[in-house]
Amino acid sequence: MGLVAQDRLRAKLKAGDTTVRVLLSHPMHTGRAKDENGELIPAQFIQDIRCWRNKEEVLTIKCGTATSRNPYFSFVLTGGAVDDIILIRWVDNLGAKGKVETKVQ
Amino acid sequence: MANNTTNIQRRSVLKKAISVSTLALVATSGLILPRTLLAHWPNEAFTAETMEDALLALLGEAEVVDSSVVKFKVGSPPSYAVNGASVPIEIHSDLANIERIAILVEKNPFPLAMSLDFTSVMKLPFKTMIKIGEDSDVIAVIRADGKLYKTTRFVEVDIGGCA
Repeated sequence: MGLVAQDRLRAKLKAGDTTVRVLLSHPMHTGRAKDENGELIPAQFIQDIRCWRNKEEVLTIKCGTATSRNPYFSFVLTGGAVDDIILIRWVDNLGAKGKVETKVQ
Repeated sequence: MANNTTNIQRRSVLKKAISVSTLALVATSGLILPRTLLAHWPNEAFTAETMEDALLALLGEAEVVDSSVVKFKVGSPPSYAVNGASVPIEIHSDLANIERIAILVEKNPFPLAMSLDFTSVMKLPFKTMIKIGEDSDVIAVIRADGKLYKTTRFVEVDIGGCA
């Protein structure tokens, strides 16, 4: 994969609720595409994404191969306060892992 | 003779020591960890080739309600996508006690695209991007209070995105 771009995470307090937006950096190969030599690119895709707020687990996302390249998610958490810590971890089918953390603004 | 047996014993002891130490190394280095994590991935649901199988494996049997309480947008502008490799999706609903949401694309090789496990602090809308292979129905199913709320949208795709 070469140099991996960073995962991005933003969390903002809006009208009493926390809006979380996350953009992961991942090729999400389905195992069906071919490279320039006509050979199949083996499947590599994120399977499991988990989100914590202040060490409390709030959301689990399970992905199949039909999730877009560089997956984007946006969701809302009830309540929250400025400086809450939002943590996201992901793991793909080959065991590669990632972690990104931010504070609510 | 006595010498021979002690030699064999020594070898087996050595062998055991080596395998135990390598196992310990592998375990501590975290190589085994992803496999235990992946055990929670519902393989059966994600590799099901029909929608019914996927839904059954993921959500179990429950009363299905075709319902308009779920607002569901696919594509931008709605019901159309130029590039099937990244079709925006938005799910919105005022339902309480949502346990799980599944997003399915009927004509994809594996219909189940995504499954979300909610907790009480989660709220909709939820937005994401998915791949859609060809013109197809896209279905969102919400499980709340033991019922399944199902919403369907047809989406046209210019360039298929399942490669």
